[in-house]
Amino acid sequence: MNLVARFRSWLRWIVKGQRLEREMDAEVRFHIESYAADLVRKGISQQESVRQARIEFGGIESHKDAMRASVGVRWWGELGSDIRYGSRLLLKNPGFTTVAILTLALGVGANTAIFSIVNAVLLRSLPYRDPDRLVRIVFNEPGLGLRDITYSEPEIEDLTTRADVFEQVSPMAGGSVAMTGIKQPERLELAVVGFDYFSILGATPQIGRLIGRQDYQPGFSDSVVISDAFWRREFGGAPDVIGRNLRLDGDPCVIVGVLPPDFHHPNLTVSGNVEVWAAAGFSADPFPKPIRSKRTLNAGVIGRLKRGITIKQAQARLTAVAAEIRQEFPATYPAQSRWTIEIRPLREFLVGDVRPMLLALQGAVILIVFVVSLNIANLLLARASGRQQEMAVRLALGATRGRMIRQMLTESLLLSIVGGVAGVLTALAGLHFLMRFVPLNIPRLNEVSIDSAVVGFALLISIVTGLIFGLAPALQLSKVGVSSAIREGGRGSGYSTKTGRLRDALIVSELALAVMLMVGAGLLLRTLRDLLQENPGFNPTQVVTANVWIPVPDNPDQDPYRGITPKVIFDRELLRRLKTIPGVELAAITTDVPTTNHKLNDPAGSEPLIIEDRPVESNQDLHAERTRISPDYFRLMEAPLLRGRAFTDGDGESGQPVVIIDETTARRYWLDRDPLGRRVRFGHDPAKPWMTIVGIVRDIKSDGLDVDGVPHIYVSTFQDPWRSQSIVLRTSLPAAALESQIRRTVWSIDPNLPVFGVVSMNELIDRSLTSRRFSAQLVGGFASVALLLASIGIYGLLAYLVGQRSREIAVRMALGAGRADVLKLFLRRGAALAGIGIVAGVIFSASTASLMSSLLYGVRPHDPAVFLFVPLLLFVVAVLASYLPARRATKVDPIFALRES
Amino acid sequence: MSRPIDLLQGTLDMLILKAVSLGPLHGYGVLLRIQQISGEQLEIQQGSLYPALYRLEHQGLIASEWGESDNKRKAKFYSLTAAGRRQLHSETEKWNRMASLIASILRTTPEQI
Repeated sequence: MNLVARFRSWLRWIVKGQRLEREMDAEVRFHIESYAADLVRKGISQQESVRQARIEFGGIESHKDAMRASVGVRWWGELGSDIRYGSRLLLKNPGFTTVAILTLALGVGANTAIFSIVNAVLLRSLPYRDPDRLVRIVFNEPGLGLRDITYSEPEIEDLTTRADVFEQVSPMAGGSVAMTGIKQPERLELAVVGFDYFSILGATPQIGRLIGRQDYQPGFSDSVVISDAFWRREFGGAPDVIGRNLRLDGDPCVIVGVLPPDFHHPNLTVSGNVEVWAAAGFSADPFPKPIRSKRTLNAGVIGRLKRGITIKQAQARLTAVAAEIRQEFPATYPAQSRWTIEIRPLREFLVGDVRPMLLALQGAVILIVFVVSLNIANLLLARASGRQQEMAVRLALGATRGRMIRQMLTESLLLSIVGGVAGVLTALAGLHFLMRFVPLNIPRLNEVSIDSAVVGFALLISIVTGLIFGLAPALQLSKVGVSSAIREGGRGSGYSTKTGRLRDALIVSELALAVMLMVGAGLLLRTLRDLLQENPGFNPTQVVTANVWIPVPDNPDQDPYRGITPKVIFDRELLRRLKTIPGVELAAITTDVPTTNHKLNDPAGSEPLIIEDRPVESNQDLHAERTRISPDYFRLMEAPLLRGRAFTDGDGESGQPVVIIDETTARRYWLDRDPLGRRVRFGHDPAKPWMTIVGIVRDIKSDGLDVDGVPHIYVSTFQDPWRSQSIVLRTSLPAAALESQIRRTVWSIDPNLPVFGVVSMNELIDRSLTSRRFSAQLVGGFASVALLLASIGIYGLLAYLVGQRSREIAVRMALGAGRADVLKLFLRRGAALAGIGIVAGVIFSASTASLMSSLLYGVRPHDPAVFLFVPLLLFVVAVLASYLPARRATKVDPIFALRES
Repeated sequence: MSRPIDLLQGTLDMLILKAVSLGPLHGYGVLLRIQQISGEQLEIQQGSLYPALYRLEHQGLIASEWGESDNKRKAKFYSLTAAGRRQLHSETEKWNRMASLIASILRTTPEQI
């Protein structure tokens, strides 16, 4: 058949339906009148002829219905009338409608908001050219238990020369740079990248140009590219910024281009985004000589795979290349370290860490929207039982059950779509608010927006919820027996078992979902509480920290801090002056403020360790994190020394190199032997001097409250200073009050050093928990909403039951049942429902809790306390919610109730 | 006079096509034409004509246009489309084949088996 003709005709009806309806009427009228006229001509009276014409024509409405059906638009017209009817019903029940739409708006809104984050962070492609070919290249020493280690320039060369898999590669070192030549020195977030970096990412400038191959210099190139944010902040967005000079770490640099606002550096940053990009060849001053064994470059290499090469193929090739390199340079790559090259998709590398948390949040909001829809289902069901008579009458008049189910579903979907639209609006309005609480360590947050995918998801959620809460009453109605419903409805009593079972099932599922949410929230909250109570190994109260960056000029000859001595002189002088600030009791320097985990200026993470007098073969898996501290650090932090001594001012350049190890290091590498007096060395370079262990300190949670078991070795900053330092002060003054004093003190020694991030230690600990607090509080909030809704549900069910059975209660009481019996009757029912729901919820939670294990710390996924407390709490609440209606049942006056019926 | 014959299932469409193939007709005219050419032998429920007309138009077999009737009133006239003409042709052929087949079956005598 001619589908095009049919579709055209159908479309005509959809578009011009009203006109065609009128034509249909006219056509039928013409027929009847013409026939009547013919009948008159045959001698029948005018009145009689019209009557007869109508009779012979048959039911006009049913014929018109058949006409609509034959062009396939009947359901369309019915939909229109269903929607009109549904809207009228919803408007007639403003209370119910408001509650339903508000809860839906919240449920869908929360889903939409969270999904907009999930979509931007986890699902969307990275905002770079051809992002599927972008990889992060990682060097590992699995034999030493080290991942993402430092590297040397020749190793970068190897990636392109030895393995034929990359189009281009670029290192990405990150960190601080001092901007001087302005009022006060300022710290900027810097990315030092290779000359192919922008071409790998396919970036285009907003104005000016980007750095490319043509700018190649073995050291730093003079040209820098700046971020949109920095451009607006520092230059007010002036277009003549191109060609202007910046003095960065003492060197004059020229701004050649500004990146667009949506460009983000594909790596972790301290302040959210890089402000200045500088390119370097990594093979001349200030970088070390490009010697293979001098692996001092920071981790973070990106590459673009050649077209048509899969990750797997590339990985296989690189594994082979690594083996080849190991064989060629056995001294640099000792066999036991098993040095390898690994590649991971860039997106996975960037967002892999936050995936579990975001998925847990998305799961929680989906659970809550289910709870919401079950709750609405319950309300609808209660309303539907009031409509049984209406439905029975319709059935009796010839409506088909399918037609009636369709009408009920239309009503529910109408509700859910209105709720969904309200939800999207809620999300649009609330997303901004929510984003203020979203932890900043989640990458790609700048990309969060409500796009078509998010709106599609919101629509899907609304329709699914509409189907969930629409199906229950629809199914129930479809089972209505005509005569019984009319009779039952007429009697206005009775709680039919079918309806009852459906409502019970809804309540039980609602309770089960509430249990799951509450267990999840319980586990996250317990983790958070445990972390807050965790002994960090030091006393964070009354400690203020600040960061100082000692610049690295391109030309070492112009570096006032070249070598060890000038830095040590600076450190000693800085400490002396800091102690004179009124209100400061103690001052110390560290390169690793606990819980901040800014490894951006540090050689990444742990370093390989050699222990003297150990056979080389047994040096496997030996590594530790190196922290440089000044003598008073442990005293200031109130970190107890377990054995030996702290550093002294005498542990300087001329003295014997000394280290202090923490408990984990002692336990791990010396077991029951005494480490004091033994000697260790970092790295594989045999020329480095041995360092003697002089003390053991209790573990300090340096890498975050939730990180255990990382060995730490402390060295004296007077023997091994570092350019990125932090000041710590023990003081009763708040950080804000000290900020300017700290600045002035630093600048009194060297006015070119940027001082930044002056905050209290407690604030830092607090920040390190932002992510966990955010997810725990969010899920906790959802769980309380679920608890509330579930208790409202059970309350509503029992209140309804009491109302329905008031006559029965009256009879029972008239026959001698006591109030206690009646109370028990309903309490038992509430408790039974709660019990079943809770058991089901506990079983579901127990089988899914292990999915959350990566989000937990110190709490097992099957934590007995949570699994005991949650059911108990829910049970108590459920029984309380049942008690109120049950008590009302005992107030039933037998005479009144009996007479009323 | 014999009782009017009930319309065979599915033949109404064919009759409508035939009726309008003789010239454009409005709905009532289709009814009259069928009754006329059948010698008042066929019983058609008047109202059921219209769903059939709409279906045929929907399928593109007939087309409709508003015009003026004999008694100077606005009426909707149906006419056969090219597709309708083809359809009528093939339906007629099918019908004739079927009819002659059935007829020959019914004519069968015991000797012929």
